[in-house]
Amino acid sequence: MSTPARRRLMRDFKRLQEDPPTGVSGAPTDNNIMIWNAVIFGPHDTPFEDGTFKLTIEFTEEYPNKPPTVRFVSKVFHPNVYADGGICLDILQNRWSPTYDVSAILTSIQSLLSDPNPNSPANSNAAQLYKENRREYEKRVKACVEQSFID
Amino acid sequence: MEPKDEEIMKQQREIEKEVCDSTPLVSEKISLSCLRTEYMGDDVFSAKIQDLLKKYKFIRRTRPDGNCFFRAFAYSYLEYLITNYTAYQEFRKLAESSKDKLVELGFPRFTLEDFHETFMEVIKRVDPDCTGAEGSEKLQNELHQIFNEQGYSDYVVVYLRLITSGKLQEEAEFYQNFIEGSFTIEEFRHQEVEPMYKESDHIHIIALCTAIGAGVRVEYLDRGEGSTVKAHDFPEGSEPKVYLIYRPGHYDILYPN
Repeated sequence: MSTPARRRLMRDFKRLQEDPPTGVSGAPTDNNIMIWNAVIFGPHDTPFEDGTFKLTIEFTEEYPNKPPTVRFVSKVFHPNVYADGGICLDILQNRWSPTYDVSAILTSIQSLLSDPNPNSPANSNAAQLYKENRREYEKRVKACVEQSFID
Repeated sequence: MEPKDEEIMKQQREIEKEVCDSTPLVSEKISLSCLRTEYMGDDVFSAKIQDLLKKYKFIRRTRPDGNCFFRAFAYSYLEYLITNYTAYQEFRKLAESSKDKLVELGFPRFTLEDFHETFMEVIKRVDPDCTGAEGSEKLQNELHQIFNEQGYSDYVVVYLRLITSGKLQEEAEFYQNFIEGSFTIEEFRHQEVEPMYKESDHIHIIALCTAIGAGVRVEYLDRGEGSTVKAHDFPEGSEPKVYLIYRPGHYDILYPN
């Protein structure tokens, strides 16, 4: 059955294929348009460079009026990523706008990798290292970059 | 450990679901005297309801989901438009051209088109010219059906929110004066206007009415002094086409005598 959410997700997918943003990709899973797999490549000139980070995006029938649930499947050491892969990002919570599409979601997460917000930490250890010991932070990030090749 | 945003959101969703299961998006027209029963024993409200009953006969309730102002406004304004062909045509033209204007203001074209298409589809479905003699009753039913279909109803709300946001941006200097606290217009638009389920304040109402050129009268049923209900017209001095009742936190539609 075609619902507004499903129709919109088909449009999002088409746009992502026709006009793919640099460094991200995503597609619905084989048998369910409400669940997507995505990949974000670590942005250049950041400790995440060369990493390939996998995510899942789960939509409800209320999309695009409500944000989807986005989660890293790959291990990501980052001030705003929870241990279970959940992401603390305002546009996925209280600043969600129905004008965002999958492409905008993925590029926002990509920029979150480059610019963490250590003031609202989901991983306090990462936030502390980011603020106080950048070298150790980068070392930990690089370890999860290498891990991302194996996953 | 503090609850995670996700857990808070989950809880919120459960509450929303309860509200959703118990109230339609937009109700049938109900006699306004039902408010008397609702506030029985409450002297302040009872006196004010008595006053309100002199001017209005019916109320149409909207679901209290934070979108009530936008939904009530859209329903009531379209209800007026289906009985006034000239005004309908003017509004349709304005709606048609609003997309390009919003794109010019910097809204993402791709997603905007999705909402605009649906918005236009709703407007076309209640075209007063296409019904013939049995006319307005059929349109009224169509309108009611559309607004109780979550997909369409919410897309209309989204599009009105975007028009409102666009107006705030267009006249940022003016609207900045209405914003309390340290919000910039930009932050306010993204946090309080564009997201669904965010409640509306005066600033939303003024911006939307001005952008659309539709007068709205709001009757305030609150604990303010006196035994009469205070009304406010948006934009000031305009002739109201839409009548709403505000009770703290919620808007419903009113029908004047």
